[in-house]
Amino acid sequence: MDFDPSANRVVGTARIPGAPEPKKAPVPVKIIVAGGFGVGKTTTVGAISEISPLTTEAEMTSESVGIDDPGQATMKTGTTVAMDFGVLTIDQTLKLYIFGTPGQTRFAFMWDDLVRGALGALVVVDTNRIDDCYPAVDYFERQGLPFVVGINTFNGQMSYSIDEVRWALAVREDVPVISFDARFRASVRDALLVVLDQALDKAIRMKS
Amino acid sequence: MTPPDSDDPVPPARPGVRPFLQSGTQHSTGGYTPTGEHPPVEASTNTLRPFVITSGRTDGGDPDIGMETQVTLVPGAPASRLSPETRAIVALCEDSPISVAEISARLHLHLGVTRILVGDLRATGQLDVHVLDNDTPDPETIMRVIRGLRSIS
Repeated sequence: MDFDPSANRVVGTARIPGAPEPKKAPVPVKIIVAGGFGVGKTTTVGAISEISPLTTEAEMTSESVGIDDPGQATMKTGTTVAMDFGVLTIDQTLKLYIFGTPGQTRFAFMWDDLVRGALGALVVVDTNRIDDCYPAVDYFERQGLPFVVGINTFNGQMSYSIDEVRWALAVREDVPVISFDARFRASVRDALLVVLDQALDKAIRMKS
Repeated sequence: MTPPDSDDPVPPARPGVRPFLQSGTQHSTGGYTPTGEHPPVEASTNTLRPFVITSGRTDGGDPDIGMETQVTLVPGAPASRLSPETRAIVALCEDSPISVAEISARLHLHLGVTRILVGDLRATGQLDVHVLDNDTPDPETIMRVIRGLRSIS
């Protein structure tokens, strides 16, 4: 490089005179959409997102290798998981990201990164395969992340009632169990609003 | 709506950087094993492992750089010699703020790789990475999201 890097260093808000103003970046917030494979996570994300859902791939070992202890051979078993996500611009300064987590069950250890700073989670449940969502429920309970169980009624009917699902999951009394239709924007919006109510409760509790 | 069909042959943006990346959309197969008996997916032209373009670094990502972290171009940043991948990242940031996850998705770059490269570009002064001081959501922000969501139909 043929310039003196220190001369171009930008410190704090002091900018090079004459340079255009930096673009203001919106504050990002995120909600997690979790659940087993094929329960409608991508449909949920796509219904509310203003863009077609995008997919990003992450290697699950990237956080754990390289620290030290090469003896832990198990940590080297890499798994690439795909995450679908969407975006909803709330206003110029606030953007909501909705991340759908992969359907595998062996993925829980990568979620720490994903849920850090998340407002809350919607656990999508297919009543034909209720146990697919257990890892997600377990994980969010342990993390203390506000979550809502949303039964996806995409096939028009539920094999079990909300009460039966609640019983099967044995979630705490204050965890809402609702039904919604992942295909419809208004339905997904309402489900996310329930998540946000939980998030707001927690945020207010934390603040006081 | 169905997830993006993994059978769709997504044309590689730049041959050589996305060999294993397409395996991720095949949810049912549970990913791949990077070492060992994974069959060569495509011809030998396309088998760079993701972290080759980070010079093998897998742990250099700033933990503060999250998937949703916003990235913007530093105005008037000095031109510097960039790899094809970093140049593509800079180009994506030109128009408006963009998240790390969007960069990863749009360039078909592994998320971990994206994070490291974004960190590099931040270090060289090309990009501003807007790390939040406090990632615990505050009630006011949540209220704004609630109002925003309520207003859509």
